[in-house]
Parts: sequence; C-alpha cells; structure tokens
Amino acid sequence: MKSLIGWGVKPVDSHVNEKNDKQWSLVQKLFLGLTPGQYLGQALRNPFNWILGIIFAVGLPLIVYRFLFGLGAVTHASNDYPWGLFLGFGLFVMVPLSASGFLLGTTVEIFGRHDFEPIERLALLNGLLGYLFAVVYLLVDLGQPWRLPYPMFVSFGPAAVLFLVAWHVATYLSVQVAEVSVAFFEWIGWLGGKRFIRRIAIGLTVSGIILSTLHQGALGALFNYAPGKVHPLWFSSPFQWIHFFCSAIPAGLCMVIVVSTIIKKTMAWRCDSNFIDNLDRLTLGLAKGASMGLITYLVIKFIGVAHDNEWAYLATGWGAWFLFEMAVGVVLPIMLFAYAVRHQAVKLARIGAVFTVFGIALNRLNTALIAFNWQLYQEIPHVFEVIIAITLFAIYVVVYRFLLYRLPILYSWKALPEEAFAAEAAKAAPVKISGSPVGAMYRKID
Amino acid sequence: MSAKLILTTLTMVLTFITVGNLAQAADMPDQVSIDAMSVLFEGVEFDHAMHTELGEDCSACHHHATGTGTTDERCVSCHANSDEVASVGCRSCHASEPFSAEHINRKSEEIYKFHIDMPGLKAAYHWNCIGCHEEMDGPTGCQDCHARTPEGDAFYHSDASSASTSGKSGH
Amino acid sequence: MSGISRRRFLAASVAGCTATALAGPRKALASGSFTGYPDSMGVLVDLTRCIGCRSCEAACNKEQQLPAPDRPFDDKSVFDETFHGGTQKRRTDENAYTVVNRYDTKDAGPVYRKVQCNHCSEPACLSSCFVNAYTKTPEGAVIYKGNVCVGCRTCMVACPFHVPAYSYSSAIDPVVKKCIFCYETRLKKGLPPACVDICPQEALTFGKRKDLIKIGQQRIQTNPGRYVNHLYGEKELGGTSWMYLSSVPFEEVGFDPTPGNEPIINHVKDFLGTVPMVLAIWPAMFTGFHLLAKKQADHDDHEHDAEKQHGDEGGEQ
Repeated sequence: MKSLIGWGVKPVDSHVNEKNDKQWSLVQKLFLGLTPGQYLGQALRNPFNWILGIIFAVGLPLIVYRFLFGLGAVTHASNDYPWGLFLGFGLFVMVPLSASGFLLGTTVEIFGRHDFEPIERLALLNGLLGYLFAVVYLLVDLGQPWRLPYPMFVSFGPAAVLFLVAWHVATYLSVQVAEVSVAFFEWIGWLGGKRFIRRIAIGLTVSGIILSTLHQGALGALFNYAPGKVHPLWFSSPFQWIHFFCSAIPAGLCMVIVVSTIIKKTMAWRCDSNFIDNLDRLTLGLAKGASMGLITYLVIKFIGVAHDNEWAYLATGWGAWFLFEMAVGVVLPIMLFAYAVRHQAVKLARIGAVFTVFGIALNRLNTALIAFNWQLYQEIPHVFEVIIAITLFAIYVVVYRFLLYRLPILYSWKALPEEAFAAEAAKAAPVKISGSPVGAMYRKID
Repeated sequence: MSAKLILTTLTMVLTFITVGNLAQAADMPDQVSIDAMSVLFEGVEFDHAMHTELGEDCSACHHHATGTGTTDERCVSCHANSDEVASVGCRSCHASEPFSAEHINRKSEEIYKFHIDMPGLKAAYHWNCIGCHEEMDGPTGCQDCHARTPEGDAFYHSDASSASTSGKSGH
Repeated sequence: MSGISRRRFLAASVAGCTATALAGPRKALASGSFTGYPDSMGVLVDLTRCIGCRSCEAACNKEQQLPAPDRPFDDKSVFDETFHGGTQKRRTDENAYTVVNRYDTKDAGPVYRKVQCNHCSEPACLSSCFVNAYTKTPEGAVIYKGNVCVGCRTCMVACPFHVPAYSYSSAIDPVVKKCIFCYETRLKKGLPPACVDICPQEALTFGKRKDLIKIGQQRIQTNPGRYVNHLYGEKELGGTSWMYLSSVPFEEVGFDPTPGNEPIINHVKDFLGTVPMVLAIWPAMFTGFHLLAKKQADHDDHEHDAEKQHGDEGGEQ
C-alpha cells in the first residue's frame, strides 16, 4: 500500500473521486479506490498476508475437522478441564482486552473529555471486534453452537451467571454495533442513520457502562462456581468479580495503545493527521488512566490475599508464579507508565502497555487453565486446539484490518458539500483540511 | 432380560432357606438350597450339617434367634436370655427386598428402634459367609460358592477383551 | 432539564430498567436458601462394606444402556489404572456414570470408593446452567434435559465432585452425561437405583435422606473404631443425597477433605445481588456525571452544543 501511495494512488476517504469528480461506487470503496489489479498486487506484496495465508491453510481445514468430528478430535478439553484455550483465551482474554469501547465511550461522551475523540472510534471498534470474536471462539467451543439462542428464547436459567453473561454480551454487542455504525453510515453515505445514533449516543454509552460492568465482572463470577478448583491466589470469593472488572480497565486501555502502535507502524497511510499528531499525547493519557486502574487492581488483589489470609501460599511455587504475574503484568507497567508520563516518554508507555496486555492475558489464562484444578494435574492444550485458536485470532486480525482500511476509524470522512452544509446547520464548525478539495470535515477536530 | 427380572435377581445367589422350625436339633436341615433369586449366579447348596459341626454355637449365624444366647456385646443387654423365635430362617428377619417402598416407609416410622439398620437378606448372607470364610480360610471368591450363569456372563461383559489396555473409563 | 438531555436520560434509564426487569427473577432465585426436599431419597455408601466387585458399574451400564466396556466388569485390574502421570484414578465419563476405585491405605488395607453423582441438595450444576437444563426432583435426583444442553460445560466446571462428563466424541449431539439416580426407570417408581439393587454387600443403603443420616450416625456410634466420626455429605456443600461412611480419613480415599458446608451457589449470591444494584444505580450516576461534566466543560463539540446550552439552564440531576 505504501508503495502505491508513493506512486500517487490515494485511498478512498470521501464519496467523490478527486480525479474525475464522480462518486465512488460501493465496490470501488471496497477496493479502496484501487483497481482490482492494484489491490491484489498490494495484498500479495505484503509479507504479512503470506503468513496469514499459511495460518489459514492449516487452520481452516482444522476448524472444519472440529465440526465434523467433534471437540474431542481437536482439543484436550476433558471432563476435568471442560474449558480449554477457546474459552480460556478466546473468551476470558478477549473480553477484558475489549473493554476499550465502553472506557473511551465513557471518557468522551460521559465525562466530556472530547480531547480523546481522535482515538474513540478505534477504541469502539476494538471493543466490538473483541466481543464479536469472543463469541466466535465460543461458537467453536460450544458443543452445540446452533443452540446458542436457547438461553435467549427456548429455556431460561436466569439464576445462572452465564445467563447474565450471554444476555449482556448479546445486548452489548448490539450496542457496540450501533456505536461503530456511525463510521459505517459515513462510509456508505447515509447521514440519517448517523444522526440517529448520535442522538442516542449517551443512552448507548450508559448502557455500555452498565453491561460492561456486569459482564466483565460476571466472567470473574463464573469462577465463583468453582471455589475449590481455582488456586486461592487467583480466586477470592467476595472479590472475584471486582478483580475481573477492575483489571479489564487497564487491559482495555492498553489494548488500544498496543493496537494504535501497530497501526502507526504498519498503517500510517490510512491515518489522518488528526490521529497521528494526537496519538502520542493520547497514548500518555491512556497510560495515565491505565496506571490508575493497575494501581487499584494491585491493591485489591492483595486485599483479596489478605482477606482470605493466603500469605502462606506466596512462599510456594504457585506463589512465585503469582508474584511473577503481578510483577511483570502490573508493577512493571505501573513503573513504566509513571516514568513515561513524567518524562513524556511515549515509547516506554507503549512498552508498558504491552506488558499490561500480557499480564492481564496471563491472569485470565492462569485463572481459567493454569491455576484451575491446581490440586489435580496440569492440562496441556492439544496442538490442533492451539492452531485453531491462532487461526481464529488471525481471522480477527484480518477483519480488524479490513475495517480499518475502509471505515473512517483512523481518518475523517470528507463529507460532500451538501452534507457539510447539513452538518453546519447542526452547529458544526467545519474545519478545513489543507489540500483537500472537498474540504469540510464532518467530524470535529480537536 | 426384563428390568423387573434384573431388579429381583441381579444378584448373587439369594434367598430363603426353606427350613422349617428349628425348635429341636432334630429339625435342623442337613442341606439348604439358597437359590430362589439366582439368575446371574447359580444357587448355593449350603451344607448346614457341616457348618453346624464347625460352628461354636448357633448364635454365630443365628444371633439370638435360636434361644442359645449371644455374646455380641451390642446384643447381650437385651438378648442374653432371649427365647427361641418362631422361625429362625434368615429371611424371617432379613428382608429379601430391603429397599422396597413399604420397607423404607416402615423404617422411617420406626427410625428410633434399634434394629432399623438391619441388612437385607443378600447382604446378611454375604457378610456372614464371607466374614467367617475369611477367618476360617474358607472360599471367598464369588464363583467359589456360586457359579455364574450365562446371563451373569453377559451382565459382566466377560467377553470384553481383557487384553485391552486403554480403558474407556478415565479420560 | 432540557428536552434533549431528558430524552437521553430516558434512553439510558429505559436501558437500565429493561435490564432490571431481566434481572428480577435472577435475584428472586438467588436469595434464600434451600436445604432439600423433606422426603427426598438418598443413598448411604459405606466404604467399609465395599469389596470392589464392580457389580454396581455393571448394573449401571445395563440400566442406562451405556456402551459395552473395554474390559469385563469383573476385571479387577482396572483398579491399577492411573492417568495423568499416576495422579488420577478412574473417573465418571460419558460411558460410565459410576466407577469404583481402590485406595491402598496404611491402616485399613485396600478401601474401595464408589464415585457417582452425589445429587446435592443445592446442586452447583443446576445453579450454573444458563438454559435451566437441570432439575432437583422432590425424590432427590438431580436430572437434566439433554435436549436443551448447549454444551457450555459450566456445570462441569461448577461441580465440586468432578462428576458431570461430556460426550466429547459426538459431533452431532454432544451433551452432558451423568448419573441420574436411575430417576426415569426406578426412582420415580419408588425403586432403588440399579447399583443399590445389585450390591451384594449392602454397601449402598437406599432410604430417605433424613433416615440415612440417623442410620449413619447410629453405625458410627454402635461400631466404635470402625468408622471415622464423620458422615461425608450430611453437611458438605449444603448436603448431598448420597453420603459416605469411611474407616479411614476421607482425604485418603480421594475426597476433598475441606469443601466447606456452604452450597456453591452461596459464593455466587453476592455477585448476583450486586446486579440489580448496578442496573439501578449506574444509569442515574453516569448520566449525572455526564451533566456535571457538561456544565463545567468548556469544550467546542458541535454535537453537544445544543444540549450544553440547555444543560446549563437545567439541573444536574
């Protein structure tokens, strides 16, 4: 893509083709304004696509194999370890990393921190895709995925935590689809839809907070069903849901830092100056938020240990593993963030974010798999299970990239003059973007 | 085999000793057939005469029922001098269906009576016979006393390959 | 409060109220505690009586029409099988709803322990099931409807006894599998389960749970030295319909010695209790935050300008 831009090709960012003043068709928009040949060429030149190709070549047949021959054929999920990587990673890791949507939504819409707007859409999309793929992982893991609607429509178990998770994730997914649809409506050029969503934005955001609080917590509360199975250092009956909810805050924020860093490195052509120029400042802002979350999390983790008087476990091998998780995933990022914020060292903040994401992911894997059944034996996932988990993650990356390439997430959609007028009528203060003939920015620039 | 059949028989050899009144030694049977419920296993031909010679006294098997007294410390307080009962056959006291609804309800009503935990007939045999056989080096294997029937072989899946090492039970 | 912000507030409140309505039955079911049906049945398993003949396994296999075993049911060599580096003995699975394991103890020699569903008074599997597949019947059995099982396997995670198994081998219709106390074929008709019926030793005593507790206590009292002074399952995890007596400490024969007497659901009630609170408080609180932020913020967001003007006139509540 970079080389194409070097040759003077400009990816679609408005309804009108600057070269011939015609409206882009939907198909042309899908190809980013490139000819199919150009598009295919850039795709083939990207070595990352070749890696993805290899993953899909191995992984997709295995997914088919899983549905033909059952879970037993591809996983080590057993009667003792009912949950393997698909849920341990796909559900319990993906969901906290997707807390970004409600966090940035709250920051911008509720607390009125509109200086975070350039990254809000990325956070919303990150949230939506994380949840969507948590559900995809779930569908692969469920014994009878075609019965997923049962708790909604057929047979209700309202006293079960999972019932709450199912309802809230489903509802929240729709909320997030609505939130992200603003970008989609801009892209297809349907202003009515966009205006409607903007009007209910506060309602959506508040329901997002409620639903997120509850199901992030509920994922933790799921382990309240297995108080004797999870190692006491990773389980605290009264605080489990708060631990999960609280750690989801830095996890979601840091995931946005990590994703935006990758975008900056690999997809700079798609970002506008509003995104790129603000990114360093926003990264530090997110890091500040994340470090508050991490400090709180660290404190309540140790309150959990103190509450159940589990200090003795810290001296065991499990204790060392626990302290490693806390040191690398919580304490180290706190220190990195503190230094980064004080010295404006964005790079350190980004490294801290990677450690945080790693730390929270490790925490979830520990709770769901490694420290689960700690009194029995350790289960090692089947190699097919690992490959399928990686394949699903690769699909997640591809979908993520597909949307970032197209929807105005990282860049602002340049509205048509009549739309700009409409926007102006709605008290917009259009900002001129230099060098753009169409010109009027629909979205606000900070 | 019908469920009812299994239900009533599943078992090892069982059931009632067709013995009359043991009021006098002369009434003692020499041979007792324990076979009424035998389906999975053949019946047992119990050599009563031989066992009476081996036994120290009747109470070893008949508790206080034969009126010969008992030395069991749990029983002596009431039954040290109990009279002989009308029928001393095992099944007179030990129910062949100890878990029938009728039996369980009666148990529930009489829960404070001492004998509420009396074993059923099948258990009474097995405990008494095997317990003593272990002490006296008598036969203790299932088929040492009663041979398994073809139904029993099917029930235990004796045709399943013993060589197989990967048991399905487990993981 | 302005029209627009009121509308937004209402939108948030409606979302909250809808969710509260959803949460209503959840709370109702979560509160209170249940100590079991008065006349529920149970089984007292006396480990001192079990001789490891495995007849109960055979009876279960036949009664529940399970697949033929790999080895005959009178093959005692299965007791030497171990799994996962020698750490695990046989367990229940989709082909065996009950198994007997041998433990070589120091004091009492070989002790055999039968494993099956203990049919808890407040079953964790039941409370964790989001399609309500499980039922605790008044007779005491914990049964389930396989035809609604989605296959999330939370019940298996929840079961403190590692009992429910899953038919992982099936691609078309995998469901949870476990002992159902022979509910359909026997218990419902007042008959003992097949394993109890076959047991040559009466190691399994079938009866009303409340009577079995008395019988168990009586056995401990009248046989000094024979039993450890504990009826496992009388109080554990809120009580189970199947209870155990043992001659050796329970942890020596594979029991979790300290499961606690709280039913599993009690660990979840606190969280379930916070759900309606969050649903009720969050909408008002965050809408309030929003209005507060709007009043003080001097931002230039065109999207919110109209609202801001009105918001200044209106209250913050």
